[in-house]
Amino acid sequence: MSEAALVIRGLRKSYSGRQVLDSLDLDVRSGELVALLGANGCGKSTALRCAVGLETPDGGTVRVDGRPAMVFQQIHLVRRRSAIDNVCAGALGRLPLRRSLTPALFPRELREEAMACLDRVGLADRAAERAGRLSGGQQQRVAIARALCQRANVVLADEPVSALDPSAAEQVVALLADLAHQRGLAVGAVLHQPALARRHADRIVGMVAGRVVLDSPAVAVGDADVDALYLPAVTR
Amino acid sequence: MKPPRRKGPSALAVGVTVVVVVAHVLAWRATEFSPAALVRGWEGMADFLGQAFPPDLSWRVLGPSLDAALVTLYIGLLGTTLSVPFALGLALLAARTTTPGRWTYQAARSLLSFLRAVPDVVFALIFVTAVGLGPFAGVLALIFHNTGVMGKLWAEAMEEIDLGPRDALRVSGASGIQTAAHAVLPAVVPQFVGLLLYRFDVNVRASLVLGLVGAGGIGFLINQSIKLFRFDEMATHILVVLVLVVAVDQLSAFVRRGLT
Ligand SMILES: Nc1ncnc2c1ncn2[C@@H]1O[C@H](COP(=O)(O)OP(=O)(O)O)[C@@H](O)[C@H]1O
Ligand SMILES: [Mg+2]
Repeated sequence: MSEAALVIRGLRKSYSGRQVLDSLDLDVRSGELVALLGANGCGKSTALRCAVGLETPDGGTVRVDGRPAMVFQQIHLVRRRSAIDNVCAGALGRLPLRRSLTPALFPRELREEAMACLDRVGLADRAAERAGRLSGGQQQRVAIARALCQRANVVLADEPVSALDPSAAEQVVALLADLAHQRGLAVGAVLHQPALARRHADRIVGMVAGRVVLDSPAVAVGDADVDALYLPAVTR
Repeated sequence: MKPPRRKGPSALAVGVTVVVVVAHVLAWRATEFSPAALVRGWEGMADFLGQAFPPDLSWRVLGPSLDAALVTLYIGLLGTTLSVPFALGLALLAARTTTPGRWTYQAARSLLSFLRAVPDVVFALIFVTAVGLGPFAGVLALIFHNTGVMGKLWAEAMEEIDLGPRDALRVSGASGIQTAAHAVLPAVVPQFVGLLLYRFDVNVRASLVLGLVGAGGIGFLINQSIKLFRFDEMATHILVVLVLVVAVDQLSAFVRRGLT
């Protein structure tokens, strides 16, 4: 099999002497949705932030096919700007400065591409609306459209549905799975609902205390495997 | 069970109290603070007020007074708006969320501190010697001082925002200028406009004082009428000032309310 779109090897990170990531290995291949499970504080966010360059690891290597896109639990759109302007912002990295200082300067082709991305997440009709006025689930889909407009091959999502109601959560995770399967994106998503992960993910990776302890196809993961990830430290 | 004994005042608290008391005694002496002198001087005050009232509201005085008040307003307006590009540029360099590096950050912070530390009146005195008496010197003085104050306030507003949207764009490969333009600045527009209006308000009042040192406007007229002992004219000017200040204050409060 060809090399994965995201390859993490031996990632280590500590904060003030406390080891948060302890030689973490993780692959995410094109066309698959990998669900990352683990108790609070086990280092999931730190792993993703190191992978996209928001944190500098102490050791190990990260190889990404192109520039990754990141989706956050807090969504992090610019609430005062329209949905489409937020989506266009995903393309800033490939725009020259003179075409990118304000949304009014964005090229027409970019606005068209952004519309197509919004259409892909089912929000073309809300393009002109201020992002802050959309529901949580809609905002998260705008954030995913922004990742599409960035033309990222690798999308990492840190608890993208933890703040959403069950039906919006279902919709967003299904969308991430679709994008992996139909567009061939490599998607890694931290989820806190094992059921959701089993339903939509191709592979489940479980972390305990900064290490990967479980990595298998979603269909092969049993309840006991998942429960073991959330045991209190004393009983492990 | 016995409650724990309350602790007496710490050595630090005692030390601070002593220093504060001593400082007040010294200040009282150094400023020759004397309620008695105020009471003894009541005749002079009464005399002054007697001459000031009724104010001379004839058009001969009121006309030029209104003209000069308008100039004062204009000085405050230009001093505020023309400082916007400088304040914005320095604020972007002096906010931890947008600065390109530690050295530029320090340099921009120092420059802002300097501009803020030099009072606008001192800038006005300097510019009067350069460009002569008149409103232009006042505008220049406000541009310099206001750049320092507004630049700092704006930088602080930018440091208080949620960094998530900036990080999201940074991950996608946006440059520092692009993240500032598309994540940081859009988030602080209301604060920026609010602070701008607040500074306009302050600057109109400051331009009054600048007039006193020769930088044009109604302050200049107040100064002249005092020198000529025309206290009734001075009272007219002060009334006009009062109206101007209240009007600007109300206007800026009105716009700021509409903003939130
Ligand atoms: N910037 C930071 N400074 C200090 N400690 C941190 C920082 N970020 C995360 N940590 C610590 O690292 C550990 C793992 O955090 P995190 O990666 O956010 O866990 P998770 O996302 O799995 O809940 C936690 O104990 C957290 O307190
Ligand atoms: Mg987390």
